[in-house]
Amino acid sequence: MSDADILASAPARQTANWRAQLPTLIRVYGIILTLVLLLAVVTIGNPAFISQQNVFNMASQWAPAGIMAVGMTFVILTGGFDLSVASAYSLCAVVAAYVGQNHAPSVSFAAAIAVGLVFGLANGILVAVVRINPFITTVGSGFIINGVALVLTQNAAFLVNNDDFGILGAGRWHGIPYSGMLLVIFLVFFGFVLARTIYGEAIYAVGGNYEASRLSGIRVRAVVASAYVLMGGCVGLAGCIAASQLSSAQANLDPGIIFDVLTIVVVGGTSLSGGSGAMWRTAVGLGIIATISNGFVLLDISPYYQSIIKGSIIVAALALDTGLTRLVRAK
Amino acid sequence: MSEQVIGSGTAAPRNIPIRKRDSNSTVAIRVRNVSKSFPGVQALRGINFELLSGEVHGLVGANGAGKSTFIRMLSGASVPDTGEIEVQGSPLLFDDPRLQSGAGIAAIYQELTIIPEMSVLSNAFLGKVPSRFFVTDKRRMERRFAELSEWMGLKIPPHANAGSLSVANQQMIEILRAVQTDQNVLIMDEPTAPLGPYERARLYELIGRLKESGVAIIFISHDLDEVLQLSDRVSVMREGLLVETRTAANWTKDTLVQAMLGDVQIVPGSKRTHASDQELLHVSNLALPGRVSGLSFGLHEGEILGIAGLVGAGRTEVLRCIAGAEPSAQGSMRFVGVDCPWPRTIREAIGRGIVLAPEDRKRQGLVLSRSSLSNLMLADLPAVAVGPVIDRSKTRERGTALARQLGFNPERLDAEALNLSGGNQQKLVLGKWLNRKPRILLLDEPTRGIDLGAKQEIFQAIRRLSDQGMGVILVSSDLEEVVEHSDRVLVMARGRQIDILDGHDATVERILNLIFAVESRASDAGVS
Ligand SMILES: Nc1ncnc2c1ncn2[C@@H]1O[C@H](COP(=O)(O)OP(=O)(O)OP(=O)(O)O)[C@@H](O)[C@H]1O
Ligand SMILES: [Mg+2]
Repeated sequence: MSDADILASAPARQTANWRAQLPTLIRVYGIILTLVLLLAVVTIGNPAFISQQNVFNMASQWAPAGIMAVGMTFVILTGGFDLSVASAYSLCAVVAAYVGQNHAPSVSFAAAIAVGLVFGLANGILVAVVRINPFITTVGSGFIINGVALVLTQNAAFLVNNDDFGILGAGRWHGIPYSGMLLVIFLVFFGFVLARTIYGEAIYAVGGNYEASRLSGIRVRAVVASAYVLMGGCVGLAGCIAASQLSSAQANLDPGIIFDVLTIVVVGGTSLSGGSGAMWRTAVGLGIIATISNGFVLLDISPYYQSIIKGSIIVAALALDTGLTRLVRAK
Repeated sequence: MSEQVIGSGTAAPRNIPIRKRDSNSTVAIRVRNVSKSFPGVQALRGINFELLSGEVHGLVGANGAGKSTFIRMLSGASVPDTGEIEVQGSPLLFDDPRLQSGAGIAAIYQELTIIPEMSVLSNAFLGKVPSRFFVTDKRRMERRFAELSEWMGLKIPPHANAGSLSVANQQMIEILRAVQTDQNVLIMDEPTAPLGPYERARLYELIGRLKESGVAIIFISHDLDEVLQLSDRVSVMREGLLVETRTAANWTKDTLVQAMLGDVQIVPGSKRTHASDQELLHVSNLALPGRVSGLSFGLHEGEILGIAGLVGAGRTEVLRCIAGAEPSAQGSMRFVGVDCPWPRTIREAIGRGIVLAPEDRKRQGLVLSRSSLSNLMLADLPAVAVGPVIDRSKTRERGTALARQLGFNPERLDAEALNLSGGNQQKLVLGKWLNRKPRILLLDEPTRGIDLGAKQEIFQAIRRLSDQGMGVILVSSDLEEVVEHSDRVLVMARGRQIDILDGHDATVERILNLIFAVESRASDAGVS
């Protein structure tokens, strides 16, 4: 190695104190600060927020959106997008409920997840192999999936009269909801996959620079497609949990959930242009969105103001992120 | 033929027609005590600098010395932490490149800023579109483009997609874009790195003419001969300091190297130590319709085969064909004595141990959002993993060893590739493939933007691997480099193989003569 480079590292060592690191720290971890602030405000406003009961309830309530956010993190990291999740989620829930009326819950859940995987694979093939823009692909497939669900169900609700069917969504172990556990397991396991495995590295590489990854011998198409398949699996599971929680399902279960899923991922700081982000960011994003929504209820805020405040907090969180970085960097 | 050598005529690359500056000059830019730090790096430390109007000021320094960071302060692309910059006597307003162009400064950055999806014309006038009542004036754009092209000796079709041009021609468009704004100060960060001898000669002429009309120029390059011939004065940067400024006449190549790198011995490249009869690769009748045709050559174990040619001669295409990146390639390949089908995919070629380090590091080489370490490991992840899980300590061990080989500071392995200096990014592209220990390594402009010291270490590393049997095909626009390091040189022009020279017979003159014989015959016959 050349002398020049050894010497070049000397100034780096001298300035590597906390002051020099501050901009990086804030850029990287600033979003955690936002979460802590929010938690503090809501807790002070209503201490019941951090009661075990409330935390467990939130975990269960946010399990479907959170699990889908795990899949969405993969898709967004590859530089893609999946707007079909709301329709697919409803369809999977309907499949679970429909099959669950006459079969064991495990069979119905397997069927729902299989449906999710199939639609995920279809999206994946269209985006990665046929190479249609992900936005167009998934808006289109979202319409199709929603249409299929409406045709099949005539928009009727399917009720399940089977207590076992409710265990996945509403069951608890020592007070801890199974759905919440699943959520945490997903975040941790897929967080590990992203951060520490060859596959995770490939996801980042493909999203960061598709051509360079291809020239490096990565199976770029398979990697991109796999993210949509994973997304489909997550959607399937989320649909099962929702159907199980309600013991029923309907073709237009919750069209707005797509916004929650996307906001969770993006607020956490994962970049929509792909290649940069992390699962812990999605976990923090989930924390922020869940805290805001739950906080409204606990702090008794008028529903009219809720949207305004929610929107403001989301924009402010992102502004804080970039603003602080610049502020500290300028000095 | 999609893109050929622009123009015709014989270029004499080292013959630079430049009138030296007259002595009574005013100060165009004055820099006082400018410092800049990035998280973990002090990039500039108290720079003092003067640019006189009408001078060409060379700026040299090792990779990461701070050259690009410095000129980004002058062009307003970035703001100093402390210090002052005066332009024509008035202080510079920071933080807006548009204000700077009001101040009369135009800059060409090290990394191409061409937008590949847009036309050549749109790229040439990016941000400065001639308009009438807010409507773009296409006719005026075309006229001006034609004038400037003529003046600069370019023949680039204005309506082609910029992305379809060679990197050299993309660079010429960048230069045209800066020149058309007609500023008093022109800053060029390694403008010649992607250029071939022809384009270089055009650029030297251009610099001469701009200088005559009183434009002050800052010229950054790792080619010290070029810097010494072009510049009136040369400044040397080292580790964020501007160590010395002297008139060009008072520098020699050796004193420059000394000032840039400290005590580094520049040793000439070495030739093959043991010749092997074992043929690793034999290519017959390689053709890529419309681009190259009729190439047949062999590559022996432990051999470095250079490919020499001008921009557009088809050198990159040849490498891409061998690497499986061109599905429409035709030809037959014998690999280690066995006839095998031509590789149609990158993965197929990699499976045989044939890899390509591509020329465009930003688009094809690096994942800029990832760390240096990730980039180094990207092409051979299974080697540092236990099953599907990446072993972090093994990764770091390998990365550190590679970094040492490349003259890359191991402490910067965790830095995002985006934040590295251009030369250090290039080291990552090479390191990624050296890490894989391929059978055949295809190098496309491997040393673009790399400083002298590191260049030497990289070629030593390549030679070490080739002595263990790796075959190398080297494409470089720096003919001296090709001649110095190649055991044999394949000469190409206009998509065809002209000759294969033995290492001892290959000289820059001989190669240029071969090429220009073909070029002038082709232009006489009216082929373009
Ligand atoms: N945005 C940034 N963030 C962090 N570090 C940076 C950033 N930009 C530059 N640096 C660091 O500043 C130092 C100087 O870089 P610079 O690009 O100016 O070098 P250079 O002299 O132009 O080198 P080269 O010859 O390789 O182009 C390097 O260590 C580089 O990694
Ligand atoms: Mg530079």
